[in-house]
Amino acid sequence: MDQPDKWLSADSKIPPYLQKGDCIGIASPSGHIQYKELLPAINQIKSWGLTFKTGQTIGLKDGTFGGTDQQRAADFQQMLDDPSIKAILCARGGYGAVRIIDQIDFSSLNHHPKWIIGFSDATVFHIHIAHNYHLATLHSKMCNSFPDNWSSATPEQQATINSIRDALMNTKKMSYQSLKNPMNRTGRAEGELIGGNMRTIENLSGTRSALQAAGKILFLEETHEYLYNMDRMLWNLARTDQLRHLKGLIIGAMIRTPQRDPNDEMNKSIYELVMEKVKAYDYPVTFDFPVGHIVENYALKCGVPHRLEVTTVGTTLIES
Amino acid sequence: MPSKPVQPAALKKNDLIAMIGPSGYLDPGKITDCLQTLQQWGYQVMVDPETVGVYRGNYFAGSDLERTEAMQRALDNPDVKAILCARGGYGMSRIIDQLDFKKFKKHPKWIIGFSDITLLHLHLNRRVKISSLHAPMAAAFMKSEDTSYLLYLQKALKGSLSQYKFSPQPDNNTGHVTGELIGGNLCLLAHSVGSPSEPDVKGKILFIEDVGEHFYTIDRFLWQLKRAGWMDKIAALLVGDFSTTKDTTQPFGKSMEQIIKDVIPQGLPVAFHIPVGHQPANITLKCGVQYDLNIGKKSVILKEK
Repeated sequence: MDQPDKWLSADSKIPPYLQKGDCIGIASPSGHIQYKELLPAINQIKSWGLTFKTGQTIGLKDGTFGGTDQQRAADFQQMLDDPSIKAILCARGGYGAVRIIDQIDFSSLNHHPKWIIGFSDATVFHIHIAHNYHLATLHSKMCNSFPDNWSSATPEQQATINSIRDALMNTKKMSYQSLKNPMNRTGRAEGELIGGNMRTIENLSGTRSALQAAGKILFLEETHEYLYNMDRMLWNLARTDQLRHLKGLIIGAMIRTPQRDPNDEMNKSIYELVMEKVKAYDYPVTFDFPVGHIVENYALKCGVPHRLEVTTVGTTLIES
Repeated sequence: MPSKPVQPAALKKNDLIAMIGPSGYLDPGKITDCLQTLQQWGYQVMVDPETVGVYRGNYFAGSDLERTEAMQRALDNPDVKAILCARGGYGMSRIIDQLDFKKFKKHPKWIIGFSDITLLHLHLNRRVKISSLHAPMAAAFMKSEDTSYLLYLQKALKGSLSQYKFSPQPDNNTGHVTGELIGGNLCLLAHSVGSPSEPDVKGKILFIEDVGEHFYTIDRFLWQLKRAGWMDKIAALLVGDFSTTKDTTQPFGKSMEQIIKDVIPQGLPVAFHIPVGHQPANITLKCGVQYDLNIGKKSVILKEK
C-alpha cells in the first residue's frame, strides 16, 4: 500500500500546453484504423490552428491491430522522441496497448513532456505514465469519435470535441457539471484526477503500470460488459486496496450488456455495486458523470488537480 | 521457503460431502444425478438448503450473507469431509474476504469446484495453504452428458494418486519438470493479480482454461499474468480448453497457440489441449499438490508425486 507521504509528494508535472502552429502526432497503438477515418479529427485540429503528423501505423493492419506489436511500439516511440511533436493523439482504442507498453521507452517524457491523448484502451498510457512518470495526460475522445460533418454535429458532440482543444491549449479552466443522482454521496474534495476504463485498469493490476489512486479523485467508465464482470472489476479495485485512500470517486457511463436470460441478471444496480465497496469511507461519490463510451465524453486532465463538489443539487468538477 | 500446502485426508465410505452454492444459482434439476452418483460412490451428501436449488429471483445462489454462511458452516463442520461447490458462475469475489478459514485449517477437507471457484483455490493456496480439487461440479454429473471424466474425481476423493497421459500436440514445448500445480479459469487468475489471493507461482505448473471469452480478452488476461511476472516464474504451462473462445467481426488474427507463444519465455515447457475446462472432458487436478510433468514428443504425462 502507498504511504501517504509518498503520494502527497508526487504531484504530477504538466506538459506544455499547445500553442498555435504546434504539431499533434496521430498514432494507432491499439486497433486498426484507416487514414480516411482520421479526416474529421484532422479538420478540427487544423481549425484549432494546430498542425498534425500521422504515424506509420495509420492504415497498417495485423489482425485486429494497427500493425504488429513491433510496428505499433516503434511508431509510438518515434512520436515520443520527436521534439517537434507536442502531443500524441491515439487514433482509436480497441485492444493492444498492453502488448507494447513495456517495449516503449517513455524516458524522453522526462526532458520533453508532451500530452498523450485518448481513452478506453489508451487508459493503459494514462495509468502507466501516472505510475512511472507522474505526468499529466488527457483522457478524451479519439479520432474515430469526431463527427464526420462538423456543421451538422449536435451541440454535445461539438462541446466534447471543443473540450479537447480547451484542455490541450489551456484556453480556459476545465469545468464539468452533472445532474443530481439520489445515489450520489455528497461532499467536497480536491485532488489530481486519475482513471479511465475499468477493464483496462484491472488489466494493469499487479504490474509495473498498476493504478495508484491514493490521494486522488478516481474516475471509472466501462462499456460492453455484463454487470457481474463490472462487479468483479470493482472487487479487484477494492481487494487491491485502491478505494480506501481516494479523495473522491466519479462514475461515468457504465454501459452493460444484458444477460441473454433476464433471470440471470444480478439483483443489484451499478449504483449499489459501487456504493457497497466504498461504504466504509466518507469521500464524495458521483454517478452518471459525462465520461465514457457515450456522446457526452468530455476531455479530462489526468494528473491535474481538480475540485469536486457533490451536493443534493448536482455535481461540479472544476480544474483547480 | 514458503511451506507447502497440506493435503486434506481422503474420503472413507459413508463420509459426508456438503453441496454448497457459493456463486451462481443452479437449477435443481441439475442436482439429482449428482446426489445419486455421490451416493453410489458410497458417500452421504448434505445439500445446503439455503444456497442450492432455491431460486432467489436473480443471478446468485443466495444473498452474499446466505452464501457466506453456508460456506462457513460447511468449512467449520467437523462432520463434513468435503465441500462440493454446486456451480461457478460469479459470486466468489463477493464473499471470499468474509470467509474464516481458522477451523478449516485445523481440520482441512477437500473443496471441489472450478470456474468461479478458481478464486477460492488460489486463496487457499496463497493464504490458507490447503490443497483443493479443481474438478467438475454438480451439472457435470447429469446422465444426459458424457460423465466418464467423473472417474478422476472419484479416484481423487478416494485418495488415489492421479496420473494422466495426453496425446502430444504440434505446438507443445517439450520438457520435464516437477512442481506444485496451480491454476484454473484464466479470468479469475487475472482477477486475483494484485489482490491478497494472488498465488506465488514460482516454480509451479500453471494450468489455464476459459469459456466463451473473446480472443482479445484471453490475450489481455495472459498479458496481465506476463506483466505481473507469472510467465517468468512458472516451471511449465498447461493450456486447457479454450474451444468456445469467440472472435470479433474484425478477426483477432492470432491462434490460441500464437497467443500463448507471445507471452511465454522461449523454451518454457507448454502442453496444449489438456482436457480441463468447461467441457465434459474435465479431469480432476489437485491444486497445491506436487506433480511430475513430462512433455515428450510421443506423450504428455502428468503424474502426482
